[in-house]
Amino acid sequence: MNSIVTQSLGKTFKSLGKPSVHSLVDLNLTIEENEVFGFLGRNGAGKTTTIKLLTGLIKPTSGTASLFGVDTRSPEARKMVGYLPEQPYFYEYLTPKETIEFYGRLRGLSTGERKETWDRISELLDLRDISDRRIRGFSKGMRQRVGFAVALVGDPPLLILDEPMSGLDPLGRRMIRELILRLRDDGKTIFFSSHVLSDVEEICGRVGILVSGKLAACDRITTLVGNVPKSVEVCATGLTDADCESLGDVVLQCQVRKEGGHRIVVKDVESANTIAMKINQMGGTLISMDPAQESLEDFFTRIQDVSNITIPTDKVAASIAAAEE
Amino acid sequence: MNRIIAVAENTFRESIRDKVLYVLLFFAATTILGSKVLGWISIGQDVKIIKDICLASMSVFGALIAIFVGASLVYKEIDKKTLYTILAQPLYRYEFVLGKYLGLLGILGVSIIVMTAVSSVYLRLMGGAIELIWFEAVLLIYWKLVLITGFAILMSAIVSPIMGAIIVFCLYVLGHATEVLKNLPPQFDGTFSKQILEVMYFVVPNLNTFNLQSEAANSVSVAGAYVGFALLYGLAWTATFLILACMAFEGKDV
Repeated sequence: MNSIVTQSLGKTFKSLGKPSVHSLVDLNLTIEENEVFGFLGRNGAGKTTTIKLLTGLIKPTSGTASLFGVDTRSPEARKMVGYLPEQPYFYEYLTPKETIEFYGRLRGLSTGERKETWDRISELLDLRDISDRRIRGFSKGMRQRVGFAVALVGDPPLLILDEPMSGLDPLGRRMIRELILRLRDDGKTIFFSSHVLSDVEEICGRVGILVSGKLAACDRITTLVGNVPKSVEVCATGLTDADCESLGDVVLQCQVRKEGGHRIVVKDVESANTIAMKINQMGGTLISMDPAQESLEDFFTRIQDVSNITIPTDKVAASIAAAEE
Repeated sequence: MNRIIAVAENTFRESIRDKVLYVLLFFAATTILGSKVLGWISIGQDVKIIKDICLASMSVFGALIAIFVGASLVYKEIDKKTLYTILAQPLYRYEFVLGKYLGLLGILGVSIIVMTAVSSVYLRLMGGAIELIWFEAVLLIYWKLVLITGFAILMSAIVSPIMGAIIVFCLYVLGHATEVLKNLPPQFDGTFSKQILEVMYFVVPNLNTFNLQSEAANSVSVAGAYVGFALLYGLAWTATFLILACMAFEGKDV
């Protein structure tokens, strides 16, 4: 069963005397079980709006969203999701232990289940040392750990995390990364938004990119960026600067290497082959030819510039099948 | 029901740590104990005056707690974003509203019990008698606060705490002056103002229904049926306010 399905999901905010803001337009998304899905977009692209729609905090103006087949507007759907907001705020006068106790009660857990939950979560997130300290004096990292702990109360199969690494130091980010991977190994589905693209590349199977409230791309990272070499770097010796200049318009960049020879950057493999032949004709020696792959960051930047976005069909089934093969 | 109780207990715990509560309780205690001063002025009427002022203090300071704490109850959760993680749990929004409401009623209940205890002991020390009407008067004051809190939580779900506090305060004042709205002087005849004020007579609860201060001060008993009517009257208004609060909060984007 799919963890998340949205169909033509949209949200428009209206306020008196101001133009309507279309925060999310026609979002069609399918997230399979046990997937780690990265949800990307610039500030104001509609990521948090989507997450709020999925967690029932706001209601859609069009379309539907469901979690494991249950409409997100129903409290039943929220039994299956753990949510970490962008900046988690809790009652400052409570300790982490009391906080987990409170959320356990909201989830209808029995006394025994709440104790078991605390034991499990406090160990996983290393909360024991701060279990009886009030949240009021907590650092950002400590609050994030408590936030994660709250998301895990009730052992929900789906975790929705809004910017879980935002504002954390490198160790904190690493801890969250490792935790996400561990939870994936435990069978959970993780849907998270982030601006830290290197982390997304490291832990996500698929990503979706929102641009101005529309889903501009949604697929495996390798599918989105893997088959498009950004450029090809050709290294050769025995050439003069004049030779490099005569190589033509296909050359994007030509530099003298510290180690000797020249480093020539061309836009694609075809151009690199042409250059290689020319180098040979000029009496030079080809040392290496390396295609530079486009990174997720390159793709992300490129897609922001595309003015006419065509919303792609979600290719989840095909890409997952391809991965399994 | 367990979820409502969890929210209520948490609200109680939150309010008990709210400094406003203690400031108001301090002033209430000071006023109660200071009632002796007015008793001296009215020769031979000490006990009557003390009773009157004690009940008035409970009414006013209880209302201030209901207004200042109640009007920010839901809004504060939105403003501080604590609501995000709570509403993302499998609970209905009405459960949250009722939990907050019951938590505040708990605080008001404790406050009234404390004020009643202080007043009763003080009254006994001053040689006054504690009769059934005294407790009936206290019960109806609490019931009035139940109603006002219901309205405060409705405002809290709609407007900012300051605006909410002003509106609830207006209701408190108007609710004690409904007779004035009904019996306007002749110069209002035929004016638009009269029409407006007459409509207000029907849409503002008559808070004097809960006022047994004079009877308690003069040790005059009232029929049990009247107390029963007042309780039902308050319940009807409170239920209306709570239903509206739940409806307003149900459709709210947070």
